[in-house]
Amino acid sequence: MIRLQMERFFKSTVILSLLLCSICLCSAIASSYSSSASSSSITMHTNNWAVLVCTSRFWFNYRHMANTLSLYRTVKRLGIPDERIILMLADDMACNARNKYPAQVFNNENHRLNLYGDNVEVDYRGYEVTVENFLRVLTGRHETAVPRSKRLLSDEGSHILLYMTGHGGDEFLKFQDSEELQSHDLADAVKQMKEKRRFKELLIMVDTCQAATLFSQLHSPGVLAIGSSMKGENSYSHHLDSDVGVSVVDRFTFYTLAFFERLNIYDNASLSSLFSSYNPSTLMSTAYYRTDLYQRQLREVPVTNFFGSVMETIHTDSAYGALSGKEFTRYKIKMSSDQSTSLQEQGTFVSSNVQQQMNDSDTKGACPFTRMMARLHDKMEKIEDVDTLVNYGLVIMLPLVAVSTWLSQ
Amino acid sequence: MALPRWTIFLLLFLLCFVSKSVEEREEHEEQEEFSEELLLRPLPDRKVLAHFHFQSRVPPTETYGRHHHLFPKAIYQLVHKFRIREMELSFTQGRWSYERWGGYDPISSNNAKPPGVELWAAFDVPEHQVDASWKNLSHALSGLFCSSINFLESSTAYSAPDGGFRSSTGNMRYGTLPREAVCTENLTPWLKLLPCRDKAGLSALMDRPSIYRGYYHSQRLHLTSTEFDSTGLKTGIVLEQTLTVVLKPNAPGNNMGYSSGSILQPSWSLSSLFGKKVGGKCLLANSSSVYLQLEGALFSELNNIQKENERYNNDDLALKGSWSSPGFELSVSPDRMIKELNSLHEDGPSVLYEFLMENYSDSKLFELGFTWKFPVVWSCPRAPLHSSRFLMGSGNERGAIALSLISTKQSEAFQIADINGERCSLQVDVFQVVPWYVKVYYHTLQVFVDEQPQSVPDVIKKMHVSPSEDKVSPGVMEVVLNLPCGVKSAALTIEFDKGFLHIDEYPPDANQGFDIPSAVVSFPEFQASLNFLEDASSNRSPLLSKLKERSPVLSYTEILLVPLTTPDFSMPYNVITITCTVFALYFGSLLNVLRRRVGEEERLSKIKAAKKNGRLPLLLSKLSAKLRGRPWEPPQSSSSSSSSSSSSLISYKLLIKIVLVAGVAAGWQYYFG
Repeated sequence: MIRLQMERFFKSTVILSLLLCSICLCSAIASSYSSSASSSSITMHTNNWAVLVCTSRFWFNYRHMANTLSLYRTVKRLGIPDERIILMLADDMACNARNKYPAQVFNNENHRLNLYGDNVEVDYRGYEVTVENFLRVLTGRHETAVPRSKRLLSDEGSHILLYMTGHGGDEFLKFQDSEELQSHDLADAVKQMKEKRRFKELLIMVDTCQAATLFSQLHSPGVLAIGSSMKGENSYSHHLDSDVGVSVVDRFTFYTLAFFERLNIYDNASLSSLFSSYNPSTLMSTAYYRTDLYQRQLREVPVTNFFGSVMETIHTDSAYGALSGKEFTRYKIKMSSDQSTSLQEQGTFVSSNVQQQMNDSDTKGACPFTRMMARLHDKMEKIEDVDTLVNYGLVIMLPLVAVSTWLSQ
Repeated sequence: MALPRWTIFLLLFLLCFVSKSVEEREEHEEQEEFSEELLLRPLPDRKVLAHFHFQSRVPPTETYGRHHHLFPKAIYQLVHKFRIREMELSFTQGRWSYERWGGYDPISSNNAKPPGVELWAAFDVPEHQVDASWKNLSHALSGLFCSSINFLESSTAYSAPDGGFRSSTGNMRYGTLPREAVCTENLTPWLKLLPCRDKAGLSALMDRPSIYRGYYHSQRLHLTSTEFDSTGLKTGIVLEQTLTVVLKPNAPGNNMGYSSGSILQPSWSLSSLFGKKVGGKCLLANSSSVYLQLEGALFSELNNIQKENERYNNDDLALKGSWSSPGFELSVSPDRMIKELNSLHEDGPSVLYEFLMENYSDSKLFELGFTWKFPVVWSCPRAPLHSSRFLMGSGNERGAIALSLISTKQSEAFQIADINGERCSLQVDVFQVVPWYVKVYYHTLQVFVDEQPQSVPDVIKKMHVSPSEDKVSPGVMEVVLNLPCGVKSAALTIEFDKGFLHIDEYPPDANQGFDIPSAVVSFPEFQASLNFLEDASSNRSPLLSKLKERSPVLSYTEILLVPLTTPDFSMPYNVITITCTVFALYFGSLLNVLRRRVGEEERLSKIKAAKKNGRLPLLLSKLSAKLRGRPWEPPQSSSSSSSSSSSSLISYKLLIKIVLVAGVAAGWQYYFG
């Protein structure tokens, strides 16, 4: 009799504790989910950045620099200013002693377009183009002395274009023929960027052999990736310029540029039209897109969202000063562009938002279960020492195990 | 009618007020100044030197305030943030040829720079803050000029000269990056410091491809500030920007080499040199002029030709609208001719033709053409000793640096002027920085005068050495040599060992070798200055006053390329793969041999076939058997006899395997251990 009672008591406690645990977990997940959802939905696309990287040294890799400079020219033409472009060139081709055309770089043998015009701003060059510096730029962890022009000062409203070209292989990209950037490094850097709210959306475009493998480790939401070739495929150069003596452009970049040359800043061509413009037979490789981390429909995203600096304009009925009340706060959040202050505002706003939701549910929900849940959640939040909580959890686990073994006997 | 009268009155009043304020301003005289000048000089080896000189000056902040309209804000902030007293930054590509382009004039002493980047700066901060200021300055400049100057922040890259370099005062740092590339991206921010950028004035000539096609180009930025001086004359901040280019005019059909003296020098014009024309001055400039300089030797040569021609009597070949002189012809007549005063050179005074840019505009472009009439041969004034530096020795272990000084012909003339004591001597200062991985033994310093070894204390008056420290600081050597006047040649040699770098410290192109920066050789007893006729107008020209300034004759030696032992960078990878393969083979087979029992396995598999279910009890019984310490016996002992026949086979195989593994291990030990 006693034993039976004991058993019942134990069963009930077990069930209760299990329930409690699950509730805690659920509420925690829910709160985190709501906060992340609100943060991503609130911020608006406010600015554009571009990080363009040529990782190859030596004269015979002329085409990689030409690729990068072509993209540089394109994004500049489409409206991203120089201070928002981080250009990394691993070698000096324009004033190289082997260059027959000093201070000029061409990406076509017709020599109609000098990519190295009078106004190129190279931020990292030569020996500075290392994996370390690249990751520092992405994650924003610089020495204090590093000037602003060498930093990626993006915020959570930024759309970033990351273009890389060089020699690569299965899950790596070579820097200067001496170091490698691995797909894990890239994914880690992107994850850090996401956590630091350094971008809203990120487009990674890579022109290298087996480019698709470089994206295999990416997990952060809001990332869109395009590679020039699938695993096991090579990316080839487009043509050789016999005057310069080397190949001047890669196929993937050549056809990307061919697409962009038709566009101007007002065009509404979508990313899907860019993606569909790649033809495997002319590319001699299969362009790869990874879209599973990207929320928006590619048909609805204009290319100028990444390759240009075209913002949505917000229509306000009244002039500046007349904004007031609820509307005002909304606009403030939307239009804030200054990085640090906006971040803080954003942060506080998000947390207050969550709090608000919690309070709302507290007052509205007549159900005692939800009320209990809320109270529990509050208590959970009050606990500062996480270790003790974990210890408590372990202590709870012990009787559970004991009971389960006892029951199975 | 009342209204117009009112307005007139108001206008008059305003006019009065404005004129008064203008007068006041003129009285004040403290104004920002900007001037642009270009000096062109034909060189003996059929090339042309173009030397752009831009100078902006801002009065001291105390009297003028912080707001400027001409002076670049970026530079002003730099000066104030890092408390710079003096700074010089130069970007150079190519090597100045001291023999052919001159080594004894202000331009070669001040504007001929070592290839790559050279930066030196003197700070007005306490001694312990200088390094921090230098570090921050290098980062700021790297952002400003799009180059990797930030590599100068590491203590292995810069040094603190002690009087050997430009008679430096304290708190000075000096660093060079010999391999830094110089291109458009460095010139553009430099041009952006000018009030007219490259849109108007003389800077509009700077067509990038033609500048970088040149044989030598050096852009330089020199900054002096008296902002932090408590005493003395306050001139504010003076920013001097110069671009020195040596270009070769393309002379179609006239390129037959110049070894024989009878070939005419190629004619040139501004548009053929730069591919652009100048349309007037930059409106913000106080003075804007172009100078054409003919060196003393050339001018006297031309005079000789004129005398000869007078003898032969020929007609005046001058075309209409052009200006003709005995040996050459200018398409534009100069506004003024200035002759050098009390020249030190025996060649005679050099001559400047001045063209004022005020007289030209977009409708009347300035297009200076220079046409030679007669073949002329002359040579540039050279420094008393021609210095060159080279490496000696072979192999990857040790070597020696040699600095040789060879007398030029011209120094004979100087000797006479120098005999004023009982022992005539020629002072030579040498300043040399050597990176730490070239480990110089300073005690091995040897001096040769006229190919005879000399004892060091006889020749070396003063020597200051700060030896290098591995991975911390470079070695610096400052030597003051006292050579006898009639010296024909002198040489310094010093031995070194080549160090090893950590594998992470090698640059990506380590096989190319490592650079030893240029040494600076200066002759403090010889002053390079061109004193042009002084009158009211030439006082205004900062370029002429710069040429007049007395500065010691100075030259840079070549950069040395030292091949260091570089590891095979794929070697670690290869070693790791081979070692891992061998280890895997060794341990895999060893474990296989030791652990595997074929008979047992067969029996077990039979058991398994016999008894498919009831695994847990089997395991439990196994466990209990182990705990008891007894050999476990299967519940059904069915077949355990067939092992005897196979045991001999096993031992045979086992033996072979062990022998194989031992052989591999021994081989490994023998070859790699």
